Amino acid sequence: MSQGVIENLIEQLSKLPGVGRKTAQRLAFFILNMKEEDASALAGAITDLKRKARSCRLCFNIADSDLCGICRDSLRDKKRICVVEEPSNILVVERSGGFNGLYHVLMGALSPIDGITPEMLKIKELVERVREGGIEEVVIATNPNTKGELTARHIKEALGPFDVSVTRIAYGLPLGGDIEFADEITMKKSLEGRRKIE
Amino acid sequence: MPGRTEGIVLKSRPFGEADLIVEYLTRDFGIRPAFAKSPRKIKSRFGGSLEPFTHARISLMGREDANLPRLTQSDIIRPFQTLREHSGGFVQACGLAALVMKLLPERETHGAPDAFELLLWGLDGLEREPGSSFVPVVFKLRVLALAGYAPSLSGCARCGRQSEAFNFSFYPRDGALLCGDCKKDAPAIKISAALKGLLGSLQAFPLEKLARIKPGEKLLSELKGFVETHFREGANITVKPARPL
Repeated sequence: MSQGVIENLIEQLSKLPGVGRKTAQRLAFFILNMKEEDASALAGAITDLKRKARSCRLCFNIADSDLCGICRDSLRDKKRICVVEEPSNILVVERSGGFNGLYHVLMGALSPIDGITPEMLKIKELVERVREGGIEEVVIATNPNTKGELTARHIKEALGPFDVSVTRIAYGLPLGGDIEFADEITMKKSLEGRRKIE
Repeated sequence: MPGRTEGIVLKSRPFGEADLIVEYLTRDFGIRPAFAKSPRKIKSRFGGSLEPFTHARISLMGREDANLPRLTQSDIIRPFQTLREHSGGFVQACGLAALVMKLLPERETHGAPDAFELLLWGLDGLEREPGSSFVPVVFKLRVLALAGYAPSLSGCARCGRQSEAFNFSFYPRDGALLCGDCKKDAPAIKISAALKGLLGSLQAFPLEKLARIKPGEKLLSELKGFVETHFREGANITVKPARPL
């Protein structure tokens, strides 16, 4: 067997984030020992992804056709939109099982110091979706940091003229955490967001 | 690499899966980037202490010549949360941070405490009065001085005359005043006696006393024009401004 073939795969795998040469080497030898159909399926999945992946026309999630699977799903609650920064955030919300509505991906967050302005994000498209009607609630699930907050406030203002409830995901202490190690800002936010025990 | 100091977060950028590279202005070591392990994870012990403009007591670990010391601890002294929650004030504060990063060299310890105090003063001023036009202009003037670009306003740069009667003009490209007798054929700004006095006070007063200075609207506008011209033509610096929302 030519060393060039395995070397080539190691080099390509090393380009992935978080994969150093050693890990790439381990993966390459693992692939070498895989069944041929599994290896072909892996290669096919990568090729398919590059060839077919595009942005959903409506929500900007990753899709393989004009609309993504979530937007096409007739069982989803079409009156609610969850706004996230990146398509990868949708996977996290979906995994939680706590939301059955539609999504809207902003493709980033506002950051004045980096020159990221509202026009560079998909905020106008969100406003357009709300303007078209039928939306009762917009849940803003941007990251709980300065950029995410700034973006949330901007969206709230942009949706001001419409009859829609704009909500923000809760802040506070993570489950399994210990109050002793909470920082002042998180603790303050969790006290502000306290709620009655039902 | 030194251990503990106080730092203000200027900016941060994601690194790897959940790490951050945080750009600090520190009291003792000037501008220093630091590597923070996993602050983006929900249970990170750093919590909100790495958000922009947080003033914190920090511990940096690494070799003396480490390019990127590791941040091992960050305890908030003042969060500047109110400032971050005000969109306009936040954009102004981004402008102050951009100036610091542009004008002050990384790892320069000389003058670091002054730069640190100046930024704290600016952030405090903007938190108290978001939208203030006085704070950013004074900050710019003082940070220019720290970077070695202070305009020379003590008198005519050629003959040394000081009396206001000599009708001074400021030559931005030379960063100095010339009197009516020494004037030369070059772009100049006529500055009023009131502005000359104000500039002198703004350059000389300790930070804690600057709040006592309350220029009128006309004088403030003249001051802004002067500082902008000196910045652009005298110091010949361009800073990508923080984009308004």
